[in-house]
Amino acid sequence: MRWESAIPQVLAGDAPQAACEPMDNDAFAGFYERSARPLWAYLARVSGDLALADDLMQESFVRFLCAAHPEDGEVAARRYLFKIATNLLRDHWRKRRTTSIEEVPEERFATASDAGQSDSQMMLGPVLAQLRPRDRQLLWLAYAEGYSHQEIAEVTGLMSASIRLLLFRARRKAARLLRPTLEREGAR
Amino acid sequence: MTKFACAREKEVEELVGCGQWPLAAAAELRAHVEGCRACSDLAVVAQAFQAAHSSATAEPTLPSAGALWWRAQLRRRNAAIERIGRPLLGAQIFALATVLLMAVGGLAWQVRRGFGLLAWIEALPRALHFDALWPTSLGGFEGNFWYVVPVLATLALVGGVVVYFASEKH
Repeated sequence: MRWESAIPQVLAGDAPQAACEPMDNDAFAGFYERSARPLWAYLARVSGDLALADDLMQESFVRFLCAAHPEDGEVAARRYLFKIATNLLRDHWRKRRTTSIEEVPEERFATASDAGQSDSQMMLGPVLAQLRPRDRQLLWLAYAEGYSHQEIAEVTGLMSASIRLLLFRARRKAARLLRPTLEREGAR
Repeated sequence: MTKFACAREKEVEELVGCGQWPLAAAAELRAHVEGCRACSDLAVVAQAFQAAHSSATAEPTLPSAGALWWRAQLRRRNAAIERIGRPLLGAQIFALATVLLMAVGGLAWQVRRGFGLLAWIEALPRALHFDALWPTSLGGFEGNFWYVVPVLATLALVGGVVVYFASEKH
């Protein structure tokens, strides 16, 4: 008999309602292989800090394993993992004496951006540095991860009805920033 | 087309998603995108983010899954131990509070009875025959109350230190 079964509900605090037993080692290895890189990319591009992305990715997986994950399959598990990572990112920003993600000044992320340097050759880095962190989150989840509005709402904790408008505004701003770069690239 | 979206965004998004924009797009759709701000923004942004996604996922050096697995196991075990220990700590606090209450109650009771406790403590050395433990060279020990107090205080102090170290070790 495993100790986890002897002490039920020990770690149920953060778990979603429809949850199943924690993954075994092999199942986790496969899930990790498929999910770690996209999660790291999300954290690195939204935070603009590669070291922070490393730390938060590991912490996200550890918390994911400690909680009972959703039983709706790997897609739901991955969404839950992104939700944990998003909350960790938000907590990290809050620790820096800010009250919400909306109030984090963009300059803070733009100056600390190691990720921007590697992306600058691909034009998105400088654009991301000029966007608000929440806009980066929304755009990344929608266009890099391909999440629907409902899924983005689930991951970010925002109202589902407001995602369309927020995404529209973020997209418009990103497109405005991207076009001059694209034109320069096209002129070469 | 609504204020925030175009009905053809889905088509554009699908083509960008499978990497076929604009080559596999119909001429009519390309013409639409050129004239539609929402679709044009979508094509530009989605292409850029997908390119960034492809390059970013190749970047990291990941720790092994096993290391994270064991970290999680350790954390689960610690959480379980902490959860089990919580009622024990509660019982200890309750016991201490009960003893303290009883001591305070007893003291108050003695105060109301005119400090008979002091007389009892004074008589204690004689009752326990402490004089038998005392070296004979220390003549004149008559079981005086003021000799007993330091002994009891020392015992209490040593007892406290022993309990402290025992709990620390535990």
